[in-house]
Amino acid sequence: MHIPDGYLSPATCAALYGGSAPFWYVALNRVKKALHTRLVPLLSLFAAFCFVIMMFNLPLPGGTTGHAVGIGLATVVLGPWAAMLAVSIALIIQALFFGDGGITAIGANCFNMAIVGSLASYVVYRAVAGRAAIASPRRVIAAGLAGYCAINLSALFAAIEFGIQPMLFHDAAGAPLYCPYPLSIAIPAMMIGHLTIAGLAELFVSAGAVAFLQQSDPSLLRATSGLPATQIGATRIGATRAGPVDPSPGVFQPRPTSLRPLWAALGALMILTPLGILAAGSAWGEWVASDYANPAIRQQMAASSLNQTPPRRAPEGLERWSGLWTAPFARYAPPYVRSAAFGYLLSGMFGVGLVLLGSFGVGKVLRNGKV
Amino acid sequence: MLFEVDCITYSYPGQTALRDLSLTIPEGIRAALLGANGSGKSTLLRLLDGLYFPDSGTVRFRGEELIEEHFADDAFAYDFRRQVGMVFQNPDVQLFNPTVFDEVAFGPLQLRWPKSQVRERVAEILDRLRISHLKDRIPHRLSGGEKKRVALASVLILDPAVLLLDEPTASLDPRSQSQFIDLLVAWGGGTKSVITATHDLGDIEDIADRCYVLDAGQLVADRIPSEVLRDTDLLRRTNLVHAHRHRLPTGEIHSHPHLHRSEE
Amino acid sequence: MSGVHTHQRSHGNFVEHTIEGLHAAIARAMYADTLAGRAGLLQHIDPRVKLAGLLGLILATALSAKLWVICAILLVSVAGAGLSALSIPALMAPVWLSALTFTGAIAVPALFLTPGVAIYKFPNLDWPITAQGLTTAGFLILRAETSATLALLLVFTTPWTHILKALRVFRVPVVFVVALGMTFRYILLLLETAHEMFESRKSRTVGKMSSGDYRRLAVSSGAVLLSKSFQLSGEVFLAMQARGFRGEVYVLDEFRMSHRDWTALALFAGLSAAAIWAGR
Repeated sequence: MHIPDGYLSPATCAALYGGSAPFWYVALNRVKKALHTRLVPLLSLFAAFCFVIMMFNLPLPGGTTGHAVGIGLATVVLGPWAAMLAVSIALIIQALFFGDGGITAIGANCFNMAIVGSLASYVVYRAVAGRAAIASPRRVIAAGLAGYCAINLSALFAAIEFGIQPMLFHDAAGAPLYCPYPLSIAIPAMMIGHLTIAGLAELFVSAGAVAFLQQSDPSLLRATSGLPATQIGATRIGATRAGPVDPSPGVFQPRPTSLRPLWAALGALMILTPLGILAAGSAWGEWVASDYANPAIRQQMAASSLNQTPPRRAPEGLERWSGLWTAPFARYAPPYVRSAAFGYLLSGMFGVGLVLLGSFGVGKVLRNGKV
Repeated sequence: MLFEVDCITYSYPGQTALRDLSLTIPEGIRAALLGANGSGKSTLLRLLDGLYFPDSGTVRFRGEELIEEHFADDAFAYDFRRQVGMVFQNPDVQLFNPTVFDEVAFGPLQLRWPKSQVRERVAEILDRLRISHLKDRIPHRLSGGEKKRVALASVLILDPAVLLLDEPTASLDPRSQSQFIDLLVAWGGGTKSVITATHDLGDIEDIADRCYVLDAGQLVADRIPSEVLRDTDLLRRTNLVHAHRHRLPTGEIHSHPHLHRSEE
Repeated sequence: MSGVHTHQRSHGNFVEHTIEGLHAAIARAMYADTLAGRAGLLQHIDPRVKLAGLLGLILATALSAKLWVICAILLVSVAGAGLSALSIPALMAPVWLSALTFTGAIAVPALFLTPGVAIYKFPNLDWPITAQGLTTAGFLILRAETSATLALLLVFTTPWTHILKALRVFRVPVVFVVALGMTFRYILLLLETAHEMFESRKSRTVGKMSSGDYRRLAVSSGAVLLSKSFQLSGEVFLAMQARGFRGEVYVLDEFRMSHRDWTALALFAGLSAAAIWAGR
């Protein structure tokens, strides 16, 4: 799913470079602090490894073949921040020297696969694996799911990036300048392939490799295990080992369970939500009943739906049900907030907060439900 | 004393590599660390190069103890790295830069030599080792002999006082082996010290004046090469030779010590 | 997109295909290296100028809202390739072909699905080809081809180590440049290791391997490669330390601008600016 040049407008590309930069910056600093001088060889070797993984043509059940990115595996072994950097490096080399993926699209590809992918993998892996033992099958399942979710989330982001192009960028005659497929086509087109094939490839690579490593080299799985340090001791990198004084440069200390950087990442995403307001018109499908009577909005509807004329009246069901629930933040802007962008931000934070609360709730139930 | 190793122990997870090892290496020596694979000689070299630090015991270089805290000091670290150079066994580990030129320039650059001086010295050393024509090549695609010469160049450019070599002739064809030995012999002598870890008995008389024999992490002999080569019992015990049995045409079984050259 | 392959492969071909892919990648990396040494127009220009200039043209290609501007850039690039001793059939054509196949497949449905003025209608299809559809397909394909050509120009006329060092002119941190260089250097090694693992397994196999077997082979090879990469990184770290590395990396700046380079820079800048202006 490496996005080539010409599918995303320069504006979108620039936005995604801009979106990637803070993550790269934070990741670099965190990884420097954790690894000191071992940063360069570790990231380089891992990036080279990811590059080779991306070339593996993996046969899948059903007779098809797919390529994995290795983001799930990289995250389980290195943690999200180092994985983010290693995969970014691999993607940059692919784009620059091997023509796989566009050069203007490097920011987009890194954002989708390396950044979103690693964060998603990490969250899913930790949530599903919990405190299971390093060698437990639960970790294999967790890794597989992490890879699967990550690659599909990446594909979703890519699909959205594709899908908004025709709405925003076209020439005088109305021909789309970049990707011509709107969300209604882009999303199913991308997701079907990834939910089935690419997702499966990633699942097999992540799960299979973790299962293999549980036997052959379990120390590689310790860094992201979330198990308390006393239980697992320090991990060696290669054969380097320090003396009795711990910690030391030769030892790759597994970080204690710290979700603080994830909060920061979420915070960053939330602050970027007002960008959504830049998409002219309302998002496809999110119209209210009264929109059907508004000529300006009708035009937008038509434009974003392959020039199909919207019906004169709102569909019956829409009218009937829309009265049932008045969202507290109608149209993403609480009525008392004047600035649309700020309202968007506020509702974004509220929305994310709800999702987080929900996730914690689910997590608690899962934890209490299991021993 | 160049190196003083005092009762050191070093373990990897699940395996003790060196156990209560003590030895002294004088200045200006050409020494060989002899031992079969797994005897601990590579580990010892790394301890001598300040890359590993012992679990217990001390390693001293010219009187200074090699411990981690000392290496945290810039001055000490630069000084040591300049004086002691190491050539690793696996050339793919030793040659980690994109081109040969970059590789040879890496050492001086990290030691903060002025850039113009670096360029000159690199050209000089490439010339001396007759590898100038390789300077823009990727190390990966060189032949075994060429890789070894590049590795040597990358260390010799710093003009170290001590050279540590880990199985230098492993994976080399016979001609490259002898060329490498010649290079070493030409470089050494006088104030320079060379310590070579090897299990190849073929060249030790050329490259060493003194042999330290290791077995299972311990020092079992400290002699001159000719004595070591005569002591077949020692050689067999430490797995440096094995008894080779074959059947003669007459039906007899003949057994004799069999010398292994470095293979692979 | 490139992550998805839906065509069936016979069992006997999986390992061969992967090995071929690996071989092709290695060969390409090696070939690029030797070409950069040839005497041609672009080979002599400072890498920083080439990097900035070609990126400028790629940007102009991306920004253009007019097809003819993109065509013009493509023609200029092809001319540049010819003047730099890059063989059209051996080098450019394969790249053009693969970009065409890939983007072509994506662009064809757009011919029919893009709303606009109908031009031609196939008798049994509901949707006609629209003028806008043609334009869009044109944009997609031409942009893909032109970008690919420009990238090719950079990679085949410049040693990759120079390209990486030239990145510093864009304020890319040294640690990244060094990591990129080391990654490239070790990609070759890992590709060969992976190749050997597959070859050795293939040579030990009598009869056919099922697709499940191949998958398991690929995954376990992947895991072994992972362990080796980790181990190798530890050893490389020791080797770096042994030569004085203490965290900050220092590299040689090798580039000096000559008159020719300044002229080239001006030319690139002029071309890009003109293209951006004409294409808006």
